Amino acid sequence: MKEMWQEAMVEAFRETSKRLALFLPKLLALITFLALGAAAGWLVKFLLMRVLAALRFDSLCERVGLTPALARAGFAQPASHAVGRLSFWVVFLLFAFMGIDALDLPTTANLVSVMIGFLPHILAAALLLLFGVLLANFMAEAALIAAVNAQIQEARLIANLIRWGILLFTAAMVLTQLGIAKEIVIAAFSITFGGIVLALAIALGLGGRHIAREGLERRLRKKKSEADELTHI
Amino acid sequence: MTYETAWQEVRDQLPELQHVDIVVGIPTFNNAATVESVSKAVTAGLREAFPGATALVMNADAGSHDGTPDLMKGAVGGSFPLALFHQRGGGPPASMAAIPRLSESGVPGRDEAFRAFFAVARQAEAAACVVIDARVRSVTQNWIPWLLQPVMEGRADYVAPAFLRPRYEGSLTNSLVYPLSRALYGVTLRYHTGGGYGFSGKLAGLYLDRDLWVGEAARCGIDNWLTTVAVAEGCTVCQAGLGDKTLDAGSGSDDLSGVLAQAVGAVFHFMERYQDVWEHRTESKSVPHIGLPYHPQPDRTAINVERMIKGFRQGLRDLLPIWEIILSPETLSGILPLGLTESEDFRFPAPLWVQTVYDFALAYHEKVLHRDHLLKSLTPLYLGRTASLVLETRDGKPEDAEQSIEHLCETFMRMKPYLIERWRFA
Repeated sequence: MKEMWQEAMVEAFRETSKRLALFLPKLLALITFLALGAAAGWLVKFLLMRVLAALRFDSLCERVGLTPALARAGFAQPASHAVGRLSFWVVFLLFAFMGIDALDLPTTANLVSVMIGFLPHILAAALLLLFGVLLANFMAEAALIAAVNAQIQEARLIANLIRWGILLFTAAMVLTQLGIAKEIVIAAFSITFGGIVLALAIALGLGGRHIAREGLERRLRKKKSEADELTHI
Repeated sequence: MTYETAWQEVRDQLPELQHVDIVVGIPTFNNAATVESVSKAVTAGLREAFPGATALVMNADAGSHDGTPDLMKGAVGGSFPLALFHQRGGGPPASMAAIPRLSESGVPGRDEAFRAFFAVARQAEAAACVVIDARVRSVTQNWIPWLLQPVMEGRADYVAPAFLRPRYEGSLTNSLVYPLSRALYGVTLRYHTGGGYGFSGKLAGLYLDRDLWVGEAARCGIDNWLTTVAVAEGCTVCQAGLGDKTLDAGSGSDDLSGVLAQAVGAVFHFMERYQDVWEHRTESKSVPHIGLPYHPQPDRTAINVERMIKGFRQGLRDLLPIWEIILSPETLSGILPLGLTESEDFRFPAPLWVQTVYDFALAYHEKVLHRDHLLKSLTPLYLGRTASLVLETRDGKPEDAEQSIEHLCETFMRMKPYLIERWRFA
C-alpha cells in the first residue's frame, strides 16, 4: 500500500515536472515574443514617424483637410501620431500572436496563419471606415452650409440625416467586409434604407405635395425669387 | 481655337494681315439679342475715335446655338477685318447648366478667349487691345475712346470699367472686394467687372508671360484676375466711367454663395501669390478717371433687409461650430451679440466686418477647412453686413452709402497690420 502511494506520488510529480519543463520554455517564448514585439513596434513607430515628418505628412493632411476632419471625428492628435500608434499595435499584435502560437494550445492552433489571412480584410475595413467617416463629415458640412445659405430652417436636420445616412452605409460595408453576420447586415441595411426612402416618399406624397409642386415650378420655370433683388458683383 | 493656335487661325482667315494697331476682342455665347448692337457700337467707335488706326475685330465664340457669329459678321460687314473663332480644347464645355460655376460673367471659357486676344495682340504687335462683352445692352460708341485713348496716348497700361449703379448694387464688390483689394494693393479702382477693358500691348504680353492661367482663379474669376494682376504688377492703371451696364436678360448667376466663393476666393488666391507685394503697400493712391463721372444712382428696387438679417441669424445658429474654427475668439465675441439685437437696431460695425474678412483670409491661407466650405460659410456674415449698411444709410442720400464705403476702405487700410502680423506667422 505504502509503495503504491509512493509510486503514485512520484509519478504525479514526474508528470507535472515534465509538463512544466515542456510548458516553461513556451511561456518564456511568449514573454520573449511580447518583449520583442514591444521593442520592434516602438522601433517601427519611431522610424515611420521620422519618415512621415521628413515627408511633411502632417502638413499634407492639413492641406487636404484630413486633420480637421479627424479632429471633428474625435481624433485630436496629428495624423502622423495616429499612423505611428497604429503601426506599433500592428507589429506588437503580430508578435503577440506568434507568442500565443508558440504556447501550442489546442484552442489557439494556427492563430497566426488565421490572423494573417484575415489581415487584408481588417485593413480594407479600416480604410473603408476612415473614408466613410471623412465623407460623412464633408458631405454633412457641405449640405449644412448650402441649406443655411438657402435659408432652409431644417438645415441641421438635413446635415445630420446625410451624415448618419453615410455612416450607416459605411457601417454596413465595413461589417460586410469583415464577414460579420453578412446576411443579417445586408438584410437590416436594406430594410432600414428602404424603409427610410419609403417613409420619405409617403410623407412627401401625402403631406408635402403642394410644397414639392411649388418648388419644382419655381425651379423649372425659373421664377425670380425674392432673394434676387440685388446684384452682388 | 486655343491661344496657341489663335494667331495662325487669324493668318488663315486674313492672309494679308501683318500688323494692326488695335485688337478688339468680343467673347460671345448665345448673344444673338445683343451682339449686333454691340458690334455696330464698336465699329462706329473705332471709325470715329481712331480713323487712321488699323484694327482687327476678333470674335471668340464659346459654342453659340443661336447664330451669334453670323449676326456679328453681318453687323461688322466689311468695315474692319474680322476673325471668327470657335473655342475648343482649352476651355471648358459650353453647357448651360455649368455656366454659373464656370464664370461669374456667364461666358464659359472666357479666360481662354482673353488669352487668345492677348496672343494675337502680341503677334500682331498691337499697341492696344480692347475687350467688350457682347451681352451688355448699354454699350455705346463712346466706350471705345474711353477704354482705348489712355492706352493709345501711353498714359495707361490698363483701363478698368466703372459703371453708374444704384447705391446698393454690387454690394459684395463694395463691401469686400473693392475695400480689401484697395487696402492690399494701394490702388483706388472700383473693381467693377465685365462690360469692357482696355489693355496696352505691353500688358497683354505680361499677362501671357505669367504662369497664372491654370486654376480656378483664372477660369472662374478672370475679370478680377485682370485687374488684380495689373495692379499687383505695378502697371499704370486708369478708370473709365462707362455709364450704365445693362445686361441681356438671363445673364449671370442667382446663386449668391457660389458667386461669393468665386469672387472672394479669387482675391484670397492672389493674396497668396502676391504676398510680397501687398505686405509693403501702406497707402492707397487714386487713379485717373475718364469718361462719365462716378456717383451712386437712386435705388431701383426695395431691399428686403428683414430677409438678410434672417439669413445672418440662421448662420449664427447653425454655422457657429464652423465659424468657431475660422474666426478668432475676439471676432466671434463681437459677432455673437448681433444675434440678439432687434432688426431695426441691427448694426454690423465696420471694424468687426474688417476683422471678420481678415480672419477668413487667414483661415483660407492656413487651410483650416475645405476652401469651398470656408468661402461659402461667409455668406450669412456678408448678408448681415449688407443689411447693416442698408439700415444705416437708407433714409439718407445716395452719397451717404458712398461715404460709408469710403469709411470701410479706410478701416480696411487701418487694420491691415492685424492681417500682416497673423499672415506671416500662419
